[in-house]
Amino acid sequence: MNKTMINRVIRKIQRYKGWFGGAAALCMMAGLYVGLLASPPDYYQGEVARIMYVHVPLAHTSLLAYTVLFGGSIWYLWKRDPLVDNMCHAAAGLTALFTLLALLTGMIWGKPTWNAWWTWDARLTSFIVLLLITIGYLMLRTFIDDPEREARYAAVLAIVGFVDLPIVHFSVEWWRTLHQPQSISMRGVSISSGLLIPLMLMSVGMSLLFSYMLMVRTQMLYLVNLLDAKKGRLLSQFHLSKAES
Amino acid sequence: MGFFKIMQWVVWKDLLTEWRSRETMSSMFFFALIVILVFSFSFSMDQQAAQELIAGIIWVAFAFTGMIGLGKSFAVELQDDCLNYLQGCPGSKGALYLGKVTANFAFMFAVEVILFPMFIVLFNLNVIEEFHILLLIFLMATMGLSAVGTLFSALTVQIRAREVMLPILLLPLVVPVMIAAVEATKGALSGDSFALYRQWLELLAIFDAVFMVVSFWMFEFIMDE
Repeated sequence: MNKTMINRVIRKIQRYKGWFGGAAALCMMAGLYVGLLASPPDYYQGEVARIMYVHVPLAHTSLLAYTVLFGGSIWYLWKRDPLVDNMCHAAAGLTALFTLLALLTGMIWGKPTWNAWWTWDARLTSFIVLLLITIGYLMLRTFIDDPEREARYAAVLAIVGFVDLPIVHFSVEWWRTLHQPQSISMRGVSISSGLLIPLMLMSVGMSLLFSYMLMVRTQMLYLVNLLDAKKGRLLSQFHLSKAES
Repeated sequence: MGFFKIMQWVVWKDLLTEWRSRETMSSMFFFALIVILVFSFSFSMDQQAAQELIAGIIWVAFAFTGMIGLGKSFAVELQDDCLNYLQGCPGSKGALYLGKVTANFAFMFAVEVILFPMFIVLFNLNVIEEFHILLLIFLMATMGLSAVGTLFSALTVQIRAREVMLPILLLPLVVPVMIAAVEATKGALSGDSFALYRQWLELLAIFDAVFMVVSFWMFEFIMDE
């Protein structure tokens, strides 16, 4: 991407991000209303199961965020767009955030239903590995000074981690598993529509929220880079003029 | 120079420096010995408990020992700017990667083979019948560790806090190797029939194949200055 392209993209983000934020708020408010007040409690788990409307969308969104990070990393290694790298950086932070929240809500749900905060189940373990990878990713970025190298190394880590996750999942699945099977899968839907509608609303809302946060954060990181570059130029100009006089 | 020629030279160079300095292998070996001692002090084990825990202890010791070897693998290249010359080496960077993987694999596997008899003696293990299967498990798990580890050794060598970052980045990624190696070793040591733990060897094979390819490909981007 050249400079005018980047400017166009940034301006587009500036213009449309509000729509995403607004739509996310609407979807999630509707979803929370239907989920917490209008829908019936779960037959087996009672009121406790209502945390599902937050937990499941959070988990979906963290996977969505990591997929965006993976796609962006491949794109970066291919085209070397600094803006794409900003997006990856933003997506990594959001992946860590959503994964952490999914794990915490899962723990809160796990205590009354499984009588354990934590268990070494396939999905829990792959999520904690996901969290560790994204935290490692963010740490790695702070330890490299050269921005080009930082972007390149981070992209490599993100790609290797993405390939690793399914293998982690299967290895732990063979090892031991307790998690309830997904309610919505390729084989069809095993959940009543009264519970499905709020779940869908929340999932869509959470994804929109993620897109909104991704846009804001990408824009911010881009501007910070721009500012750093400008600061560097001004400082070097200042030193040059001092050397001349 | 051809692909295999470069690979050969890298392996030869690493083995020769190791032969002359004996730095990596000896530090790995003594570190592992200390890990074993710490474990045997922290758990007061009778033979029953040892049978249960030993597989985990073996692989924790091997993985941590491997970290030391992997960390040194590229750190030694920082001396006298060797890394720059390696990066400037004409031809495929993949050959460089495969050479380094081979050398790291050789160091780790050698240390494991020396250490394992110590485990047998110190924890009174009984392994005579299953020895060839154990060797196969060690071979495949070490392959997986060095395939990913070499990539991350190259990735962390030029950053700040590299000694900390290597295990932080590497250990979460090798969770499948650890699980599979521990389970397979446990099966082999307790004398289960091979069919019961064959799936773990298959998992190791899948991991090795996937990460050899991915790391081989990603290494180009790490070395591309």
